[in-house]
Amino acid sequence: MIYLENLKHVYKDAEGDDITALDEIDLHIKKGEFVAIIGANGSGKSTLARHLNALLLPDGGKCTVAGLDTADEKNLWEIRQHVGMVFQNPDNQIVASIVEEDVAFGPENLGIEAGEIRRRVDKALAAVDMADYAKHAPHLLSGGQKQRVAIAGVLAIAPECIVLDEPTAMLDPKGRREIIKTVKKLKEDYGMTIVYITHNMTEAMEADRVIVMDKGKISFSGTVREVFSRVTDLEKLGLEAPLAAKIALELRKAGAGLKKDIITDEELAEALCR
Amino acid sequence: MPIELKNVYHTYMPRTAFERCALKNISLTLRKGETVAVIGPTGSGKSTLMQHLNGLLAPDKGCVMVAGTDLAAKGDAAKKVRNSVGMVFQYPEQQIFSETIYDDIAFGPKNRGLTPEETDACVREAMAFVGLDFDAFSKRDPFRLSGGQVRRVAIAGIIAMDPDYLVLDEPSAGLDPASKEAILKEIMELREKKGIAIILVTHSMEEAARYAGRMLVISGGELLFDGEPAAIFREHKKELLEIGLDEPQVFKLSGILKSSGMDIPEGILSAMDLVKEIKKAKGWK
Repeated sequence: MIYLENLKHVYKDAEGDDITALDEIDLHIKKGEFVAIIGANGSGKSTLARHLNALLLPDGGKCTVAGLDTADEKNLWEIRQHVGMVFQNPDNQIVASIVEEDVAFGPENLGIEAGEIRRRVDKALAAVDMADYAKHAPHLLSGGQKQRVAIAGVLAIAPECIVLDEPTAMLDPKGRREIIKTVKKLKEDYGMTIVYITHNMTEAMEADRVIVMDKGKISFSGTVREVFSRVTDLEKLGLEAPLAAKIALELRKAGAGLKKDIITDEELAEALCR
Repeated sequence: MPIELKNVYHTYMPRTAFERCALKNISLTLRKGETVAVIGPTGSGKSTLMQHLNGLLAPDKGCVMVAGTDLAAKGDAAKKVRNSVGMVFQYPEQQIFSETIYDDIAFGPKNRGLTPEETDACVREAMAFVGLDFDAFSKRDPFRLSGGQVRRVAIAGIIAMDPDYLVLDEPSAGLDPASKEAILKEIMELREKKGIAIILVTHSMEEAARYAGRMLVISGGELLFDGEPAAIFREHKKELLEIGLDEPQVFKLSGILKSSGMDIPEGILSAMDLVKEIKKAKGWK
């Protein structure tokens, strides 16, 4: 679905010097895949995400979305209908004073016919479990609800892929649980491709594949188990392994004969209490 | 010289269709030197409560006294005590406005009427507290720093006001795990060195358990629990989950281990303590 080949992105800083934000990025995101991207602040995660729907364009290499080259300006609108984006702060993404009008904003701008907009809005609100709030005012909703409205707004454009850039950073635990549940549902029930950027390792553990970024490059990647059992490597990059993996490592250091790939609480309990 | 809230009520947009009671009958005392975590779901009234601590909002009923002076009073005494409570809002980097880090941090002290020499000393001290090297950073553009660094500048700007109480609204939101830990450690060191109180609003149960000596749980504008974090997480897990909060990871894992038959005590607060307890339970050294 999305191919990045030797992708490079360069920013200019205040003095006019070049700062390489992304370098030699090779990545293939398959249709229907749930990919989590983790990395320290400034590692290039958000820059990478902004290439996926042509908000940023490559300074080297190539980014192709559904066969369309993002560098070609005439592909822009089509690419953005394939890939939708959700950002960190739900308050910055809401444009209307009624939930359903907010969700309708995207398809309206695409010139879609009224009946179809109605169907899309209803479907999108149902997908994020917000159908009961269609007539509500967005600013009176909780953080998790607002963020789900923002997701519905993207769904109404009917993309195949949704990119979420730290969607839970500003939410309370319940809001976080709501978002991760919604995202899993989009993948499982709607077959959507998910790219999920987060600092929260518990959330990243829901993905099919985890990409670890460091200083503009992909440091390592793999399944959740492959990535999160590398406790020391993660900590070196300023990241955090799941608690069970950290504890298993400490116990192994003390000589306990535990498997090297324990990452969940249940696996640790099983290994210790059997 | 504590902060005392006595039966504080606050209603937004009173006598309109949008009337909403944000705080209901809150009474509590915050003392110098305390570390207090404030947790609660979004919209529970946490931020409204924090804005009462330095008079940004005034109660509709009840009163807020700082060092014996009513914050709502007029005059120099009230102004002075309001300045003793420093506030660092969420995403404090958005409050930065100067072209150099020095100017940004010096803004507060200058407005307090300090001489240039005194201001200079203040800025140096504040930068040292948040771990920013004066020579390397003072002339730099604050907008060109990393997320963790720019947040340090914002915190330094408040520290330069020399507050007795430092209120921080989610100081670690949006930072990676290493930067989160670094910034919270600095805040705790600041408390130790200066003896000020830290009031930390957070959505992270881990942070509350790990750094605070006292925890306030706010829900629906009411103070639900006020006590030691470990005790609240242990005794009120059900209520916390019901209002949309959670228990710390280390509690969850300890619970699973206990119910799988491992003999470990309740209320373990850190990963390292849990490792120790597991070793003890298994008879490992």
